Amino acid sequence: MAGSMHSLYIYAINAKDVEFMEVIQVERVRKSFGPKDALADVSFSIPKGEIFGFLGPSGAGKTTLIKILTAQLNPTSGQASVFNQPAERMRQSAQKMRFGILTDNSGLYERLSVEENLELYRKLYDLPKAAVDKVLQFVNLSGERKKKVNLLSKGMRQRVMLACAIIHEPELLFLDEPTSALDPVNSAHIYKGLRYLNEKGTTIFLTTHDMAEAELMCNRVAILYQGQIQVIGSPKELKRQHRKHAVSVDLTNGEAYELPIGGETADRIADWMKRGLIDRIETKEPSLGDIFIKMTGSELL
Amino acid sequence: MSISLKRARAIFVKDYKEFSRNYAISIILVFPILFAFLFRSAGSALPGAIGFLLNTSLVILTSLAQACLIAEEKERNTLRSLMLTPATTLDVLIGKSSLVFVMSAVVLAISTYILGYEPANIGTFTAAIILSIILYTAAGTICGLFSKTVLEASLSILPVAFIFTGAPWGAVLAKDYPVFKVLDFMPSSQLVHLLGLGDTGYTTGDVLKPLLIILAWTVVLTVVSVVLYVRRLKDE
Repeated sequence: MAGSMHSLYIYAINAKDVEFMEVIQVERVRKSFGPKDALADVSFSIPKGEIFGFLGPSGAGKTTLIKILTAQLNPTSGQASVFNQPAERMRQSAQKMRFGILTDNSGLYERLSVEENLELYRKLYDLPKAAVDKVLQFVNLSGERKKKVNLLSKGMRQRVMLACAIIHEPELLFLDEPTSALDPVNSAHIYKGLRYLNEKGTTIFLTTHDMAEAELMCNRVAILYQGQIQVIGSPKELKRQHRKHAVSVDLTNGEAYELPIGGETADRIADWMKRGLIDRIETKEPSLGDIFIKMTGSELL
Repeated sequence: MSISLKRARAIFVKDYKEFSRNYAISIILVFPILFAFLFRSAGSALPGAIGFLLNTSLVILTSLAQACLIAEEKERNTLRSLMLTPATTLDVLIGKSSLVFVMSAVVLAISTYILGYEPANIGTFTAAIILSIILYTAAGTICGLFSKTVLEASLSILPVAFIFTGAPWGAVLAKDYPVFKVLDFMPSSQLVHLLGLGDTGYTTGDVLKPLLIILAWTVVLTVVSVVLYVRRLKDE
């Protein structure tokens, strides 16, 4: 009896810990617009501190899910929870203080300066004055604070929007295509900032159709296609699961081979090595893009 | 739903800065004052001048400015961003409407002074103007919510202008065409009744009936604008 009570107690503790650790839980969520299912039976969870990538082509349902999780939409069926509460509660001011959001169509006030835009957000989040300076330094825009937004480049505007989304240092950050149409230098600025935030404890939910971005940033990814999750896991795991069991070998004499992994291949490689013929040797690992094509049979758009 | 005056004030200040730098829209502040000078030059006793001035100003200033402010936020996707901050629907609506309210109150007061109109009862006049400003702000909010761009918002005001400013004139035809009697229940017609009260010889009923009709319009349009605001920001 005492033993069973003890196990029950441990179970309760563990269940509580698991719930506490999971920032987002989505169970069998479906969202229909008329006869079309934007999301069909989607389930996953995101633990605290993770950078989770939700990948898929345009129109796959990524933005719809962000809208459900931020209470802009209600699911047709299923359960979505954020901070261990129904997602609909994210409409409450107290909950809105806990998350930030940057979407590809987030807006800025064009006639106001960078600083005036951020001042508005500072006041809406009821933050001290220093918050504006801090976030401007963070997105590396201190020198542009007096500039009107309509005079900024696209990359700078995106950084201002990121600043608006993180000025209150949210526990959870939703990013919907944060670097779409940005050049590599500006994308790198954003990635650096996001990694820093994540190190400080912010959980990041990132949607993108850029597989390289996901591979670079995310601890785990889910590939969404036609409203359903096709595969979920860390980029490393997924690549391991979907890798070809083969090595490719380039020889110094210009010959190239793709050989199955096994004893016979090991012998051949050892022989080439002894003879100094190996120029390059690598395992055949797929990219996330290759996995996406394999899972969906579709090219990315 | 809670209201935070701090947040509403932040939105008011933001709107003031945006509005003051948007010359295409802020120019509308001049029109009521211009009309007032025109009517004054025609003589302050010009019949119906004050009614026309106030009703027209309420449409071209109050409703149009509010519709443009809402439509511009929609056009630039800033309204949705605003709604994802801790600001509640009421914070946003109060913040956005306050600027139009203050501007309308100041400009209408100046225009009335320029025209030289002296109300029979200042309390009744003030109450009617305050209710009318709220009412026309709500009408502007509704027009702005149905518009995708500022241009659409400016056009969507036309029916409001036609119905509200035309109603007092249409009501005159009620003797020959009884169907026009309905226009007498428009808030603009009731405002004209109130403005036409003489210094002496009016009963409490003469004051209360128009005020109550304007109040009813104000309540209905304000509720409709809030409900529409909440629904239009959802993608269902």
